[in-house]
Amino acid sequence: MTLLTVQDLNVHFPTGEGSVHASRDISFSMEPGEVLGLVGETGSGKSVIGQAIIRLLPTSAKITGQIRFDGQELTILPDHTMHALRGRSISLVPQNPSGSLDPLVRNGMQIAEIFIERGATKNMAWEKARDLLVAVGLVPSDQIAKEYPHELSGGMRQRLTTSIAIAEHSRLIIADEPTKGLDYHARATTARVLSDIRTRENASLLLITHDLYLAEHLCDWIAVLYAGEIIEIGPAHQIFTQPRHPYTKALIGAMPKNGLVPLDGQSPSLMAIPDGCCFTDRCSCHSEICSKERPDLIQESLNGGVRCHHPFSS
Amino acid sequence: MSSPVLQLTGLSKSYGHGDIFSGISFEVWSGKTVGLFGQSGSGKSTLGRCIMRLEAPSSGYITMQGMDLARMGLRKLRELRPSFQMIFQHPEVSLNPRMTLAESVAEPLMVHKGIGIDEALKEIRPLISRVGLRDEHLARYPHQLSGGEVQRAVLSRIFSLQPKLVVADEPTSMLDVSVQAQVLRLMQDLQKETGVSYLFISHDPDVMSVMCDQVLWLDHGNGVMYDRTAFLDRVKTEYNPVAPA
Repeated sequence: MTLLTVQDLNVHFPTGEGSVHASRDISFSMEPGEVLGLVGETGSGKSVIGQAIIRLLPTSAKITGQIRFDGQELTILPDHTMHALRGRSISLVPQNPSGSLDPLVRNGMQIAEIFIERGATKNMAWEKARDLLVAVGLVPSDQIAKEYPHELSGGMRQRLTTSIAIAEHSRLIIADEPTKGLDYHARATTARVLSDIRTRENASLLLITHDLYLAEHLCDWIAVLYAGEIIEIGPAHQIFTQPRHPYTKALIGAMPKNGLVPLDGQSPSLMAIPDGCCFTDRCSCHSEICSKERPDLIQESLNGGVRCHHPFSS
Repeated sequence: MSSPVLQLTGLSKSYGHGDIFSGISFEVWSGKTVGLFGQSGSGKSTLGRCIMRLEAPSSGYITMQGMDLARMGLRKLRELRPSFQMIFQHPEVSLNPRMTLAESVAEPLMVHKGIGIDEALKEIRPLISRVGLRDEHLARYPHQLSGGEVQRAVLSRIFSLQPKLVVADEPTSMLDVSVQAQVLRLMQDLQKETGVSYLFISHDPDVMSVMCDQVLWLDHGNGVMYDRTAFLDRVKTEYNPVAPA
C-alpha cells in the first residue's frame, strides 16, 4: 500500500510585494521502504515540500492540493491529530543540526527525553538513547552521551539529530539537506547511516538535497525541481544516465566529475514566474512555444515524467 | 620563470594544545594551481591563513618574491599585500553588509592606489563585466545578491590588484552545483588570462582533480604532495566503499 501520495500540491506565500510561488503542482508518491530524492538548487522550493508534508510551514503559507499519508489526508487533519503523528509516524531530520539541539542538554538526554515524555523511566530512556547513538555510529556511546552538542563535530551533530528522528521507528523520515556543510568523509558516513535506517527500519526516506552525489547513491526515485516545479521525475539511475529534461542534463553536466560544464544565467524569481517554461531563457533547445506555453508534466506513471516541450528521448 | 611564486619551507603551526601541522614544504609556480586537501579540522584553512599572514606560523619560512613573509614587518607587508589575495568560503560574510557592491569592488584600488571611488570604478569596470556582473548589480547591497554573484564580486575585487597568488579557501563549497561550475570556470579563465597562481583549499576530491595540478593532502598535521593521478588513486583507496560517489 502506498505510504505517501502528494497530488497537485501548491504552496505560496503572500507578501506585501506580491506572492512567492514556492511550490507549484507537485505530485509524487512513495511506497514503504523507498527513498525518494527531491533534488534542486537553492530556491527551487524543495524544503517547502517537506515542511508542507509535516505541516511545519508558517501560518502565512497558502496551501492547496492533497497530501495522503497512510490513508489520511494530512492537509485537513486537526492540529492535535497532526501533533500526534509528527515525530512518531513522520519525523524530520532538520536542516540545521546545530540550531536544532538544545546547547544546555547532554547529547544522551536530547534523545532520552523523547522516551521520558512517553513515560519511560530515566534509566530505561538513557539505555535506549545509548543504543540509538550506537546505531548511528556515535561511539563510544557512553562518553558521547555525557557530552554536550558543542563538543561534537558538524557530522556528529548531524548523526545525533538523525538518531532522534529514528527514535520512534517513524514510517516516513524527511531528511532536509543532511549533508549541508559537511566534508567528504562526514558525507560518506551520513550516507551510510541513512542507508542503514532504510534497511533496518523499512522506513521511507524523503531526501531533500542539492547534493547530487548523495542522491545518486541513496535514492530509488528522484524528482528534479526547478523554480518550484518538478521538471523531471523518474528512477534515480535513469535520471543520472538518461536525463530527459535539458535542465537535468545541464545539472548533471555541471558536476565536477562530469566535466564542470557551467550553466549560464539564473533561475527565475519565484515572485515573477514566466508564462511559458521556466527554463526557456537558459535552455539550448527552446523554440517559440516554450516562452508562451507552460509545458505539462508528461506523466508516463505517477513517478515518471518530464515537463518539457522538447524532451530528450529515453 | 626561475623562482616559484610561493615557497614554503618547514612551516609549522601549533596552538596551546598541540601541532596543527608541522614541517610543511612545497612550492607554487607561476600560473599553476596547488590544492590543499583534508578533512574538516585538518588545518588546511589555518595553513592558508598563515600564508596570508592572517595568522602567524610557529616556525618555518614563507618565501614570496625572494622575501620571507613569515618575518616581514607590517609596513613591508602592506606594500606586498596586493600581490597575494584570498577568497573566503562564506559569500554571505565576505563583503561589508553596509557597503554597496560599487563601494566594495572599488575599495581595494582606493586603499592601495590612494585614488577616489569614481576613478577606481572606472578602472575596475572592464573587470566587473569580465566576471559577469552587470551595472544594475553595482547599486545593490550584499544581501540582495546570490552567493555566486558575491563570489564574482570578490573575484573582481581581488583581480583589480593584479595578484600573483590567490589563496582560495573553499570558494564554492556553499554554492549550488551549477553556480559552482560557473565560478570555477571563471577562476580557470582568469588564470589563463593573467597567469595568476592559486592555492586551492577544498575537501571535495572531484573539484580538486578538476582545478589542481598538484594536491597537498593534509592528514594529522603532515602533508604529502601528489600529482592528479596519484591523488585520485589515494582517494579511491581511502574512501571506498563508503564514498557516496
